[in-house]
Amino acid sequence: MIKIQFYSLIRLLLKQEKLELPAHDNENVGQLLQRLQQQIKTPFLHKLLDEDGEPILGTIIMVNRRNIHHLEKLATPIQDSDVVALFPPGAGG
Amino acid sequence: MSRFDLKGWHGKLLRVDLTAGTCTDEVLNEQWAKEFLGGRGLGTKYFTEEVAADVDPFSAENKLILATGPLTGTYGAANGRYMVITKSPLTGTIASSNSGGYFPCELRYAGYDMVIFEGKAEYPSYLQIHNNKVQLVGAVHLWGKSTNETEDQILAEFHGDAKIACIGPAGENLVSFAAIINDKHRAAGRTGIGAVMGSKNLKAIAVRGTGGVKIADPAAYREAALEAYGMLKQNPVSGQGLPALGTPVLVNVINQMGALPTRNFQNDTFDGAEAISGETLASTYLKRNKGCMGCIIGCGRVTGLAGARFSGDGEGPEYETLFSLGSACGVDDLAAITKANYICNEYGMDTITVGATVACAMELAEKGLVSEAEIGMPLSFGDADAMVKLVEMAGKREGFGEKLAMGSYRLADSFGAPELSMSVKKLEFPAYDGRGIQGIGLNYATSNRGACHVRGYMISPEVLGLPEKLDPQATQDKAVWTKIFQDFTATVDSSGVCLFTTFAIGAPQFANFCTAATGAEFTEETIMEIGERIYNMERVFNLKAGVDPSQDTLPKRLLEEPISDGPLKGEVSKLGQMLPEYYQERGWSAEGIPTNERLQTLGLT
Repeated sequence: MIKIQFYSLIRLLLKQEKLELPAHDNENVGQLLQRLQQQIKTPFLHKLLDEDGEPILGTIIMVNRRNIHHLEKLATPIQDSDVVALFPPGAGG
Repeated sequence: MSRFDLKGWHGKLLRVDLTAGTCTDEVLNEQWAKEFLGGRGLGTKYFTEEVAADVDPFSAENKLILATGPLTGTYGAANGRYMVITKSPLTGTIASSNSGGYFPCELRYAGYDMVIFEGKAEYPSYLQIHNNKVQLVGAVHLWGKSTNETEDQILAEFHGDAKIACIGPAGENLVSFAAIINDKHRAAGRTGIGAVMGSKNLKAIAVRGTGGVKIADPAAYREAALEAYGMLKQNPVSGQGLPALGTPVLVNVINQMGALPTRNFQNDTFDGAEAISGETLASTYLKRNKGCMGCIIGCGRVTGLAGARFSGDGEGPEYETLFSLGSACGVDDLAAITKANYICNEYGMDTITVGATVACAMELAEKGLVSEAEIGMPLSFGDADAMVKLVEMAGKREGFGEKLAMGSYRLADSFGAPELSMSVKKLEFPAYDGRGIQGIGLNYATSNRGACHVRGYMISPEVLGLPEKLDPQATQDKAVWTKIFQDFTATVDSSGVCLFTTFAIGAPQFANFCTAATGAEFTEETIMEIGERIYNMERVFNLKAGVDPSQDTLPKRLLEEPISDGPLKGEVSKLGQMLPEYYQERGWSAEGIPTNERLQTLGLT
C-alpha cells in the first residue's frame, strides 16, 4: 500500500489526515495524484498543481520525506510502502 | 532649523530625554531619510551617529529608538510595522527588533516618524502622545503589572482609543531577552530590547493620533497599492496558506524534511510534531486569524485554552514558538506551549530565546551538569509542566529563573558547557537546523544580530521554493542568495511593510510604493542598495562594539556533530565552504572586514 498524508489546506478541505491506496506497477507521483483525485472526488489537486499540471510555486510534495523537486519531480517513481506527503504552498517565519 | 520637503515621511521625530524629563520635536534629516529610508535603516543611522559602540546597554548613555517607515500607516500591502533599535544586552550587537499591529500606525497618525529615548528616568514613567501634545507621566502604579494589565490601565486613564507599546515584568527585571509588546499580543521580540526599556524606567508609550500620512502622488500610490493587493491576494502563500494556518503550518513541513530542531538540536525529527502542528492548532485552540492594521494576510493566531488543562486566552503560538517551547524542549503538549506563550506575552519575553534557554537547561540536566537542587525541581526533556514553570520563573527572575534570565549562552557557560548553547553571537537559533539547510546556516552566522531567520530568510528558496527552489544541502550560490535576502530584508524592515509581503511582491513593487509615497525616486537598484548600505552600517557598528568576524560561526554541534536521525542524517553545516564566498560577495576583506572602497561606494565614509 502507498500511504498518502494530507497537510495544510488540503487537510482542512478534505477533513482527513491520510489515505492508503494500493500500489500500481510503474506509477509515478503525477499519475498517483490523478488516481487519488479520482478516488476522493472532492476537488483538491488545484491546491497543488497549476492548469498545466505542474506543481504551483511553493507546493511541496515529498516521497519518503524527500522533496520530489530534487528527485524526478512528478515523474518520481512510486513503489509499495512509499509515504507521500502533500503540502500546498505555505510559509512561516 | 533644517527643512524636510518630502512626503511619506512626516519629517519629524520626537526626542525624549528621560533624565531631564523633556520632550522635543526635531526635523528629520532628509538626506538620511533618502539614504536609509526609515525603520531599521534610519533608526540605526541615528543610533550609530549618536551612541558610542562600546556603550553599556543598560547605561543611561544607551538610547532606545522607535522608528516607523515612510509606508507605515499607509495602505496596499501590510503596512503596520515599526522597528526598535538599541544596543542589545543579550548579544552586544546592534539590536533591531520588528513588530506590527496598530501602535506603529498610531504613532504616524500622531505626526511622528520616530521617537528617540535617551537618559534614564528617575522613577518609573510612561510617555503619552496625543497628536502634538506630549508628556512623560509617572508609572509607579503600573510597575510590576503584566502587559495586558498595563494596557488596560493606560486605556482607562489616558485615552480609550490609544495604542500602546509596553514592557512587562521581564523588562523591568532586566531579563536579557525581554521584549516590547504592543497591542497586547504583538512583540518586538528579539535581542532584549525590553530590558533596555526597563533599564530606563520606561514602562510604556501610549499614542493617540488622528492625523494621516501625506502621499506625494496619490494616483501613482493607488496604482502601486492595487498592484500589490492583487499580487498578495493571488499568491497562494499570502492569499491562502498564511491566512488559514499561519506560520505553524511549517511544523510538519520542516519535521518531514528532517530539519526541525528537537531536544536542543540533538535530533531533527520530533515524534510529537503532529501534536503541536498548525493543523492540530487549527482544530483545537484556534479561534480565528488576525492581521495587523491594513493587512490582508492575517497570519496572527487568536487562541483560547477553554477545556484544556491550562487556562487563558490570547494570541499565538507561531511556528518559532512551537519549536522553542515545543520540539526544542521535547514537549508535545500544545496547551502547555500555548500557555507558556501567553506567559511570555504577559511578562514581555522573546518566546524563541526563553524556550531555547529552557531546552539548554534540560540538556545541562540530562548531562548531569546542573543538579535538581540547583534547578529546584526535576527537569528532563518532554516535561511540559516544568517548561511552563521555568518560563514564568525566568520572567520573574525567581530561583533558577535568575540563571535562565541570562539567556542560553551565559547559562551554559556558567555550568562550564557554553557549547550546549544553540546560538550565534549569543542569540538563540530559530526553528530551522543549519546542518540540513545550508543557506540558512550561512545567514545565521553572518546575521548582524546573531542567529536570526528573518535577517535573510533562506528558508524561502531552500525549502519553500520561493521565488525558486534551491537544493537545501547544496552550498553553491548560497552566498549570493544570502546576501540578496539580507539586503532586501533590510530595506523592507525600513519601509514599514511586513516581510511576509515579500512572498508575493518584490523590489520593483517596493520601489513603486516608496516613489509614489515620498516623491523621491526609488528604483529596484536603489531599493537593494539601501539594504546593502544598512547591512554594512550595522556590521561596522558591531565591529566597533568588539563583535569581530571570529563570531561569524555556528556552534560546534552544527559544524561537527552530524544530524542524528531522519532523512538528513549525517549532515553537518558546510559553513567553511560558504563564508569566504559570502565575504567576497559583500566586497569585504577575506577576514570579513568591510573595505573602505566598499563603504565609500555605499556612502558610509
